[in-house]
Amino acid sequence: MTTLSKARDSFVLFPLGKKRFALLAEGVSELARQRLHGEDEQQTFPHTTRMLTGVIVRRNQIIPIADIAPALIGPEIPERKFYLIVNLTARGKISRAAVPVTGECELAEAERLPANGKLPPYVSGLLSVNDELVEVLDLERLMSAEVRA
Amino acid sequence: MNSSRSSSSDRLRAKSGEAVILFSVGGSRFAIAASAVEEIRDLSGLQKISLGMSNPRFEKVKQLLERQGRNYFVVDSCEHFRLAMTRPSRLLVLRHAAAGVVVDGIDSILELHAIQALPRAFSGEERNWYRGLALVNGKVVPVVKPEAFLSKTDVVLLQASMRSSEAAAGIGILG
Repeated sequence: MTTLSKARDSFVLFPLGKKRFALLAEGVSELARQRLHGEDEQQTFPHTTRMLTGVIVRRNQIIPIADIAPALIGPEIPERKFYLIVNLTARGKISRAAVPVTGECELAEAERLPANGKLPPYVSGLLSVNDELVEVLDLERLMSAEVRA
Repeated sequence: MNSSRSSSSDRLRAKSGEAVILFSVGGSRFAIAASAVEEIRDLSGLQKISLGMSNPRFEKVKQLLERQGRNYFVVDSCEHFRLAMTRPSRLLVLRHAAAGVVVDGIDSILELHAIQALPRAFSGEERNWYRGLALVNGKVVPVVKPEAFLSKTDVVLLQASMRSSEAAAGIGILG
């Protein structure tokens, strides 16, 4: 069930293809540049979890990379050069994930509107930003939906 | 934006200066506790076996090693980790059960001082495969659970299956 806040919250807006999506800003800890070598270099090892494409090491912490773009916009994915480092909460514990984005992110304050029934369950609300409707993502739901898919 | 860090419980301490063996499979590197390995040897003496079991969990067991009067079931690590077929050159004989695992090669033996818990976002079979993740010269190396290759119970089931196959064929293979 979607919880709605009447107050204006802060959101991080980011484009994927021709659409923009939003995450609650309080769940985003930083924007990091992707690198080919050294820290923030994508590393991989065998696993079977869908959507996770590898890990990065950031300040000695190993952070999984959650590539949500294919699930949201399909296979034609633009080049992403940054990671949004986000906090995920599972069973009361916080963990982090790195979401690849193009980098053209925007911090916006807006009122979250209710998501209508036709939207996927990982859309927790909608933002009206300059005549554009932006879907607010519930990353935990998106990732668990992907696992079940 | 808020700054937040994961709880320190995500970082596991390795048994102080735990010795591990780094090995490679299909281009990936892994670590296994040195204390979990009885012997590292070449592939001589391996016999192909066909278990004829319907359990897909045991499809990765394709060979048998007779060692010191005991039969060891040998796991193909590529099948275990769902990797493309490679050319193994070494066998790790495991200590916890009559089991072994063929790997492409042994890289080195070193001491780990910390192992990080596998991030919770990993929710697949890897939760069973790995004790955690270690950083070795800036590279992330999964530390494997030896019993994930084959548990003691798995070995008992495999031995039973072999015995019934022998009985059916009237040939004695198991010692």
